[in-house]
Amino acid sequence: MSTYVYGIARGDHPGPPEGVNGVGDPPAPVRTLRAGELAAVVSDCPGQLRPKRRDLLAHQHVLAEAGAAGSVLPLRFGSVSEDDDVVRGVLEDHGEHYRGQLDRLDGRVEYNVKAVHREEEVLRQVVADDAEVRALQAANKASGGGSYQDRLRLGELVANGVRAREVHDAKAVEAALAPLSEQQNPGPESAGWLVNLSFLMRRDATAPFVNAIEEFQQANPHLEVQVTGPLPPYSFVEPAPAHA
Amino acid sequence: MTVVAAQQQGGSGGGSSGLYDVLELILDRGLVIDAFVRVSLVGIEILKIDVRVVVASVDTYLRFAEACNRLDLEAGPRKNPGLPDLVGEMTESGARGKSKGALSGAAETLSDAFKQGASSSGSSREEERESEPAPRKPRRTTTARRKEESE
Repeated sequence: MSTYVYGIARGDHPGPPEGVNGVGDPPAPVRTLRAGELAAVVSDCPGQLRPKRRDLLAHQHVLAEAGAAGSVLPLRFGSVSEDDDVVRGVLEDHGEHYRGQLDRLDGRVEYNVKAVHREEEVLRQVVADDAEVRALQAANKASGGGSYQDRLRLGELVANGVRAREVHDAKAVEAALAPLSEQQNPGPESAGWLVNLSFLMRRDATAPFVNAIEEFQQANPHLEVQVTGPLPPYSFVEPAPAHA
Repeated sequence: MTVVAAQQQGGSGGGSSGLYDVLELILDRGLVIDAFVRVSLVGIEILKIDVRVVVASVDTYLRFAEACNRLDLEAGPRKNPGLPDLVGEMTESGARGKSKGALSGAAETLSDAFKQGASSSGSSREEERESEPAPRKPRRTTTARRKEESE
């Protein structure tokens, strides 16, 4: 039976609370494997594990519950070991590295912040700030929308203006929040947000960060800011060196 | 601002709130250990496609020009939308299909990725239904943005 691994904790970690379910259907009970001064939060792995909603949620849920009971290094979804012994071997082989990571991330949580423009608001800004855009827009409107070339020209100018604001606003988000966190890492590229950043901070000191986001949102109604957290520090764990 | 409390309470293990917002982190961040095998994410790799927020394309330019012509500069921001502009809305959906660029793309990309993941991996109907995570969230987001666009 292969073993699904959720995360790595210190040897004295109590494990997630009773009744927290792991991946699979029916859900596998979550167990704790100990080796040396470390522990791994694991469960039996179902025969055919796929990235399904239920299993993604289970992964996140186990890590959130275990993380609340003590520092846990979250593994990426879908990490499967041949058996329990291989897991224990990993804990023994890279013990020093993982203990260092656990010290660094002790009591820390991640907040992920994303933002997009509210289109109408940002267009309004672009038009208001650029005389050329304003003149073109007025001319197009006066001639019932303008020729194909006219519309293309206006659209391109506006697109450039919006892009410039994306860059500007991404920096503004970062500048407003970075001082309130210990560390930051970019979120995965791909999602189409103008900014996608993860911040690391102490679990017991998140209020100033969350308040700063709220203030920033109020001061920038042309942005739609979304914050997710507290999360296990997914974006701040570092793999063990290849030949440690 | 949307605050998503990712920490789920209780031991039920249910509830889909926040899954969409942490999906990319669960799938793309977190510790990778060489000695472990990773479950195949075939179909979900589409998440890695780089979607630029504003796509430089003729479709995008025309869409922006159209949106600008509909802007009422006299009105302040956050105007009550009133009756939707039906023609505008139809044009909008047409453009979405083609360019799928710009601001509304993000949630759809995730949702498309998941549907693909489901269809390539689901073998029974029940599985396919289960593998669509939190369909409420992206739909709501898309509706909200479309409403803004047609204001």
